[in-house]
Amino acid sequence: MRSASLSSPTALAPIKLLLGIAVLLILPHIGTLNPIFIGISLFFLAWRLIALFKPRLLPNNWLLLPLSFGMGFLVLKLHGMSLGREASSCFLLMLLGLKLLECKQNRDVLAAVFVSFFVLITPFLFEQTIPLAFYNLFIFLLLFSVLIINNAGSQSLSRVYFYRFAANITLLAIPLMLISFLLFPRVIGPLWALPSDANKGVSGISDTVNPGQFSNLALSNETAFRVRFADKAPAHQDLYWRGPVYWNTDGQKWARAAANPSLKVSQAAPSENKFSHSITMEPHERTWLFALDTPTTASESVRITNDYQLLMTNKLDRARSFDFTSSPRLAKTSLSEHERKRGLALPNSTDSRIYQLTMQWQQESNSPFEVVRKALGHFNKKFFYYTLSPPTLGKDPVAEFLFTTKRGFCGHYATSFAVLMRAAGIPARLVGGYQGGVYNAVGDFWEVRQADAHIWVEVWLEGRGWIRVDPTAAIAPSRIERSIDPNQLISGNEVSFLVLPTNTWRKFALQAESVLNAIDYYWQSGVLAYGPETQDDFLAHVGIDGWEDMILWLAVLSAITLAALTAYFHLSHYTQLDSAQRVYLAFCKKLAKKTGPRLSSESASDYFKRATKHYPTQASVLNTIKRLYLKTRYAEIEGGALLKAIKRFNFVRG
Amino acid sequence: MSTTTSNKFSYKRFIQGELHQQNTLTLNHRRVFILPNKAGFAMLALIALMLVASINYNNSMGFVFTFLLASAAQVSTFYSFKNLSALEIKAVRATPFHLGEEGAYSLLIKELEGRERWNIAVSIGGTSHTIQHITGLESLTVQIPIKPSKRGWFDAETITLSSTFPLGIFRAWAPLKFEQKVLVYPQPLSFEKKIPHGNRQAHDGGSTSLTAGVDEFAGLRNYQQGEHYRHINWKAWAAEKGLYVNQFSAQQTPETWLDWSHCPIEQTEDKLSQLCQWIIDAEKLGLSYGLRIPGHELLPSRGAQHQHTCLKLLALYDA
Repeated sequence: MRSASLSSPTALAPIKLLLGIAVLLILPHIGTLNPIFIGISLFFLAWRLIALFKPRLLPNNWLLLPLSFGMGFLVLKLHGMSLGREASSCFLLMLLGLKLLECKQNRDVLAAVFVSFFVLITPFLFEQTIPLAFYNLFIFLLLFSVLIINNAGSQSLSRVYFYRFAANITLLAIPLMLISFLLFPRVIGPLWALPSDANKGVSGISDTVNPGQFSNLALSNETAFRVRFADKAPAHQDLYWRGPVYWNTDGQKWARAAANPSLKVSQAAPSENKFSHSITMEPHERTWLFALDTPTTASESVRITNDYQLLMTNKLDRARSFDFTSSPRLAKTSLSEHERKRGLALPNSTDSRIYQLTMQWQQESNSPFEVVRKALGHFNKKFFYYTLSPPTLGKDPVAEFLFTTKRGFCGHYATSFAVLMRAAGIPARLVGGYQGGVYNAVGDFWEVRQADAHIWVEVWLEGRGWIRVDPTAAIAPSRIERSIDPNQLISGNEVSFLVLPTNTWRKFALQAESVLNAIDYYWQSGVLAYGPETQDDFLAHVGIDGWEDMILWLAVLSAITLAALTAYFHLSHYTQLDSAQRVYLAFCKKLAKKTGPRLSSESASDYFKRATKHYPTQASVLNTIKRLYLKTRYAEIEGGALLKAIKRFNFVRG
Repeated sequence: MSTTTSNKFSYKRFIQGELHQQNTLTLNHRRVFILPNKAGFAMLALIALMLVASINYNNSMGFVFTFLLASAAQVSTFYSFKNLSALEIKAVRATPFHLGEEGAYSLLIKELEGRERWNIAVSIGGTSHTIQHITGLESLTVQIPIKPSKRGWFDAETITLSSTFPLGIFRAWAPLKFEQKVLVYPQPLSFEKKIPHGNRQAHDGGSTSLTAGVDEFAGLRNYQQGEHYRHINWKAWAAEKGLYVNQFSAQQTPETWLDWSHCPIEQTEDKLSQLCQWIIDAEKLGLSYGLRIPGHELLPSRGAQHQHTCLKLLALYDA
């Protein structure tokens, strides 16, 4: 028996742990947030760390208050007086640092931990990768440990007990979390207008095309989107992912037409040529989507225009999945006068050599189709090179490329081909998108990367409609100057890791990569893309319609989970006895045969005193057992010594 | 123990605890209640904020961690309950003390399930005491400081065991009622400096010898088993006053009567305080003192037991 002791109000141990956690919270923000604020928050932490040893260096409220206002103002000032995701993250980091500086007692720790929980989700506003999720889960556990250690008033951080405690709570919380995640009714769109920085730094195809623009993308290994075909997939060379269509040119760059009317009738294609597929798009902050050329039907929220662009009302600001059906286009019989005009428009500044060249082709051929072939042949025979590092072009890029440099990539070829076509009187337009992709055998999907970005031309041929022409493919293969990394080369190859097993290690690495990609695909399409629309679709499958149903099921399933937890807690009594205690209790049970059971009023010491009367010759052994037991329980030495001492005891001898 | 439905949800049960005639109680699901505390509501606000941020940015991982936090907070209530359940609480007889002093109500707390318990506050009225840690199967006594406002039996009414373990956002509490009471003596106050001389029977003067002798009759004291029959005061026996023993000392011990009617103070409580002070003084001086208050008379004697009897009489005096 002992007397209870009073608690001390200072909370050094939890503050120490919290300082470590704060560093971990700042780390993912390095590189995304303004370095000034990373620096200031680290400075605050260092200050608090020094104050651990010299408490008089802690700032008082007269310093903290102006400091808080000053920091708040600085954050707003450096972020254009708006509270976007970067500003809010900086704001929370400042708050965390200041809160820690204010932290002296147990209840201050609580407030600091609350701020930390909020800071914890801020890196997800910038990226939501699997490693980051696990990293944050680790921090989450640590924060829970801080709460527990703080509440228990422990001065030691080394007891595993508290961390296991936190892990237990979190583990048992996972079913409830999953239920909430699946069933909590999601609201479409932001609750208020997001500041412009909501999703910055997304690469991809933009709404204007400059000849030299695509080289930035060619080296980017980032995923653009992932595709899963319902049954069959087309051949690799037919994987043209159609995106925005560019009609207007000023001689230098191409731009999308302002508004396009919707497609009137979706043309029915023979069913064997239909490709149903779903695409999980990475957020790219554009209103257009990509689908296999040519899309005929799309998800509800997507509009198909009459030039086969896929448009949404709002920008895509988060990962989402869409369903499409595509089939080879059927002949379109007529071209409106307006479209013909647009398809032939060229700026007045167009170089005369271009007209001379096309004039020559026109004279030599008797149909537009032959002109197209002649133009492709021109690229093939006149020493054009494919390179990702072309010479820079000046004011008239098309003429310079065609007649001087002759070096470039898809952007150069497509733009100049389209200009040639228009000069020859053939309506032409540019289509931006992606070509190819890597098949992932593990996850059964196609991954399309930014490096697969491509641009091609569509020309109008009377009686045949718009025909896809890819001038880049016309270059003689021997003249492709590829200085791209091997990864990029492989990405053009469907099942490269199966075809190139020259090196076992390499094969293994590639397979591991495809497994990781598969995991990432499920992460993207299953977890991250789980938004309002996906939720509706998914829950409709199991018969849950509308938010009333969701709330009902959320309540029912939560109640069941809580009931199960209640049962678990009622049944799991003696589970937390540690090994030393188990051994000790077993020993007491054996001892009780002679001494009688331990009285409820007896403590360990009292009981051993009584037992010594029954075993007078083994008094010292009993004493050792008692001492070791108390030591094992309270001072936390290893239980081995106790076990040995108990084994030495002879129950028969008096 | 049966509880009717109307009782089950009565406000009293949550705050004051069930009436109980025992002095040993074991905490279980009937006695432990849980509600969020101030920090809990702050946590709720935090979760709401995180939820708004997640909705605004349609951020799946934001949702995951917001829901994980909320769920873990919910799950922690089970641990809050476990921190208090299966504790056996026993009200122990406590030492009486004087009004105005700080006394203690004693509880013996025993852990029954071999689990560690943390940060449990035991409170009576406004005062409380915190037990930082109880190890598995441990027993410990807790002295909760009390400062009663009147003499007599102190009834703790409701003793509340509460804990915010593990997270500090939920408060689990168990209101308990025990039969055990603590005796509170009157507050000793000195209005008259001296013990009244006029009340002394027999001779004045001389120092008092504490050693019992055989020379002179010194007074009576309670008969104790085994004493010689010749010392018994047969007059008292004949008067049906009980068995008393004649006391002798080498020099006669003055016998002091502390008499209600001779105490020159008007107010009852002050009178009791004065008598209380005299009893303490007399005991200190080693006098043999008797106590007379309306309706009661204690024959002169001395010793801790006698002092307690006298003080108890005063403590429980009811005009």
